Amino acid sequence: MVLHTLNAAPSSAAFRDCLKLVAPDDAVVLLGDGVYAALEGTAACDELRAAAAALFVLRADAQLAGIESPADGFGLIDMDDLVALTERFERQLAWY
Amino acid sequence: MGEAAKKPVLVVMRHSPYGSSLAKAAVDVALAAAAFEQAVDLLFIGEGVLQLLPGQESHKLGKKNIGRQLASLPLYDIELVYVDAEAALRYQLDIASSPVNAQLLGPQEMRQLMVGYDHLLGL
Amino acid sequence: MDALSAEAFDSEGFLRDLSLWNAAVAEQIAAAENLALTPAHWEVLELLRAYYHEYDSSPAMRPLVKYCAIHLGADKGRSIYLMSLFPGSPAKIGSKIAGLPKPDNCL
Repeated sequence: MVLHTLNAAPSSAAFRDCLKLVAPDDAVVLLGDGVYAALEGTAACDELRAAAAALFVLRADAQLAGIESPADGFGLIDMDDLVALTERFERQLAWY
Repeated sequence: MGEAAKKPVLVVMRHSPYGSSLAKAAVDVALAAAAFEQAVDLLFIGEGVLQLLPGQESHKLGKKNIGRQLASLPLYDIELVYVDAEAALRYQLDIASSPVNAQLLGPQEMRQLMVGYDHLLGL
Repeated sequence: MDALSAEAFDSEGFLRDLSLWNAAVAEQIAAAENLALTPAHWEVLELLRAYYHEYDSSPAMRPLVKYCAIHLGADKGRSIYLMSLFPGSPAKIGSKIAGLPKPDNCL
């Protein structure tokens, strides 16, 4: 179980590399430019859902980007929730 | 705690050697940990596989040669590194010419590999 | 040959311009460390320089021991042997005398 914090746009190398390593029992938190993967109907969104991990978007960053409601399957979380997630997952990888 | 005994640290090397200072930082971290007898393994993914290209000439830029530093890994008891097979193919990297013994892994194998470590460090 | 002036060395006694290194400079640095260089010292110093050229880095203790074992035999590839030649921190003091940068991973 790995917590992936994904702070990179869907077309970036970091985003591609992250997708390769996400396992079904992992969690992915989108932040920064990563939030654009929560746009419904995009390939990046479909690819993340196919990875079957728990998917989250940082609310403040999504709002900043103009994403009022993320795609189905993505949970909106606040910084407190992110901190709680980091406590729940013993291992983390940051993608940027 | 895991089912089986886990190894301490997997460093995920994912940046090209000279495009930023991140690859050098990753090599420094891996060597520092190994120098202090910490068991460390390395996984090269994406553009990180380019660190394994032979024949790097960094001296004209006044930079340390990442390829040659990686060649010293066996002296730190890191005998084998793991390499993203897709990226190796994309960049036509021949791992037989890599400065250190390398094993190619597919995505599923990489995900399985990661399960065996207490800590992951991505640089 | 004249000895190098104090400005040629950093605060820890490492040579600033590595191209200035030669055997006389090595003797000068060794003297500052209260060491008289013997053939046994030189054998290790030459190996340190070979290591630096091969791997583009000064070795920490662990790889230095292993490198000595490979090239000088198991008897000399031991930390106690290297400690007897370069008391304290063999990788650090040896690199200093060999005209190499300070190893990254030395306390």
